Amino acid sequence: MQKYIKTLIWVLLFTSTLTFKVNAQSFTDINELIEKAKEYNGEEVTIQGEVIGESMKRGDYSWININDGTNAIGIWLDSDIAEEILFYGNYKCKGDTVKITGIFNRACKEHGGEADLHSSSFEIVKNGYEVKEQISPVKIIIAAILTIFTLVLMLILVKVIKKRRL
Amino acid sequence: MASLKHRQNGIEIISYYTGYIVLIVASLMTIPIITSLLFLEWNPMLDFIISDAIAFILGILMIMYGMRSKERNHDIQWKHGFVIASLSWIVLTVLCSIPYILSGHSLSFVDACFDVMSGFTTTGLALTQDLDHISIGLNMWRHILTFIGGQGMVVLTLTFLGKEMGGAFKMYVGEGKDIELVPNVKGTARQIWKISMIYLIIGTIVLWIVGMSIGLKPVSAFLHALFIFASSWSTGGFAPNSQNIMYYHSMMFETVAMVIFILGSLNFGIHYAIWQGKRKEIVKNIEIQSFLVTSFVACMLALAGLAKLNVYSDAIAGFRRVIFNVISAHTTTGFGSIYARQFALEWGDFGILIMVVAMLIGGSACSTAGGFKGLRVGIVFKGLIMDVKKLLLTERSMNVYKYHHLKDRVLDDTVIKSSAIIIICYIVTFATGTILGTFYGYPISASAFESASVTGNVGLSIGVTTSSMPTAMKLFYIIAMYLGRLEFLSVFALIGYFLGGVKKACKNILKH
Repeated sequence: MQKYIKTLIWVLLFTSTLTFKVNAQSFTDINELIEKAKEYNGEEVTIQGEVIGESMKRGDYSWININDGTNAIGIWLDSDIAEEILFYGNYKCKGDTVKITGIFNRACKEHGGEADLHSSSFEIVKNGYEVKEQISPVKIIIAAILTIFTLVLMLILVKVIKKRRL
Repeated sequence: MASLKHRQNGIEIISYYTGYIVLIVASLMTIPIITSLLFLEWNPMLDFIISDAIAFILGILMIMYGMRSKERNHDIQWKHGFVIASLSWIVLTVLCSIPYILSGHSLSFVDACFDVMSGFTTTGLALTQDLDHISIGLNMWRHILTFIGGQGMVVLTLTFLGKEMGGAFKMYVGEGKDIELVPNVKGTARQIWKISMIYLIIGTIVLWIVGMSIGLKPVSAFLHALFIFASSWSTGGFAPNSQNIMYYHSMMFETVAMVIFILGSLNFGIHYAIWQGKRKEIVKNIEIQSFLVTSFVACMLALAGLAKLNVYSDAIAGFRRVIFNVISAHTTTGFGSIYARQFALEWGDFGILIMVVAMLIGGSACSTAGGFKGLRVGIVFKGLIMDVKKLLLTERSMNVYKYHHLKDRVLDDTVIKSSAIIIICYIVTFATGTILGTFYGYPISASAFESASVTGNVGLSIGVTTSSMPTAMKLFYIIAMYLGRLEFLSVFALIGYFLGGVKKACKNILKH
């Protein structure tokens, strides 16, 4: 019996530790920033998400865009820091996952009233990678059969049209 | 028996011409196939080959089925023209959604059809998932759909298949266009495409240069320029990334896009007249006058309303966030320079109301834009003034009232009535969408905003349009976009034709 109680206590301790870890999320969702923009305006916040598209250099500073799965936002950061990013998310790549701390602006005065984040701290949490395409052989066979069938039908149509014109 | 044969002939005519329209649009899938090949995107390439083949097969079968009508030289009647135009839009919506489904970026068939109809009708709302990771091939397809949708599929087919398309004018009118730039309709279709292609070259080059100047890489800048031009010119509102126009963080890029979508919202007749040296048309045309007045009033009211709420602090922010969005709504483009939820959370009821009205008014008739159209608003307004003047004048006086739209035209009760009927149809669709939204628990302002956006083929969202919204709302939005783009009559003709067939079939069954 004592053994069972001990096991139960260990299990409870273990699961509660896990719960604490999940609750202690150290960053804010982008969607929450937009939903509570007035509340977060001018505050220092931390977001975490995938870098998408490409960086756009504007002199000493650059724009990058981060998508955390809830929404996407523009980040204004030092161009030297932007160069540290190796992978940008697109069809062929999973972008670097970055953690950014900075000042959130609901309607940034410097950037024409845009909702943005001016970065003060930047960290690559997880490196991105190239996504390998998995091509299904069934897809290739279907494409080939349909193409042949289409070509045959087209030939028949052309013949019928020519015959009709004669 | 004779009526059954007559109906059979009608179906063959419809099948024959719809088949040709399907073939021409299907052949456009070679563009994303080549794009996918160039960028080594093998899965999208296969998706497009499969979709293209299915569309070709269906198109050929439809032509073959309807060929007998051509042999018998049956004439196209008005009802056939309207049914061909409206039916081809439905068939193509289903066929063009296949690449979306195969890509895995659409959660359901309805979602895929929603996006295609949104593209064709130049609305610009999207349910496509994970836009930031879709292939260049699929992005190319999305923007091709919106570009050809702006000009019209029938217009495209007439451009390439002049000889095969007898009774072309009836199909052309069925697609919501009635302007004649040159004496024959095939020539008009070619002029429409000529105008669009010249703007495509100029607009893409300008956006490409601006794109590189704001830090995009040359190849990427070219693709973004091409996509944003296609969306702007067709007043579509699609963009290659989830942040829409906000992705670029550039006032210059937004301004160039705004110039293009204003030009796109103008009547092709005005473009043609200006090219022919008739510059006075800019000042005299009732649509331009109407657009200038309504857009100026809408911008000023929105600026005043948002200034009262202290939403934006300076003039640049006012221009980039207020004027850009109001003009985008008014021209029915749908590019958003703020987040969808910011409309709901920050703009207030007054701001939303201004946007709803601007979206419903829309751009010019016979342009790529949606909404009531400036021409109809101008005609109804002038009709009101005419009636007031008539009341004030003596019964003996006989004044002829006129308005200028490419030429001086007489303003009579028939013109006013037909404009008013279309406006009423738009309002009924808008009201139905608003009621449906509130039925599913969305706030009335949000429901009205989204309903105006789909009815006017705009594409701005307040956050209602998501893949998780009720299927009934998705279906209604698809129908509203379709009705709004074809301006009701063609769709009503299709429904009437279908119901007429069902009625006759039922009668025959009962007789036997």
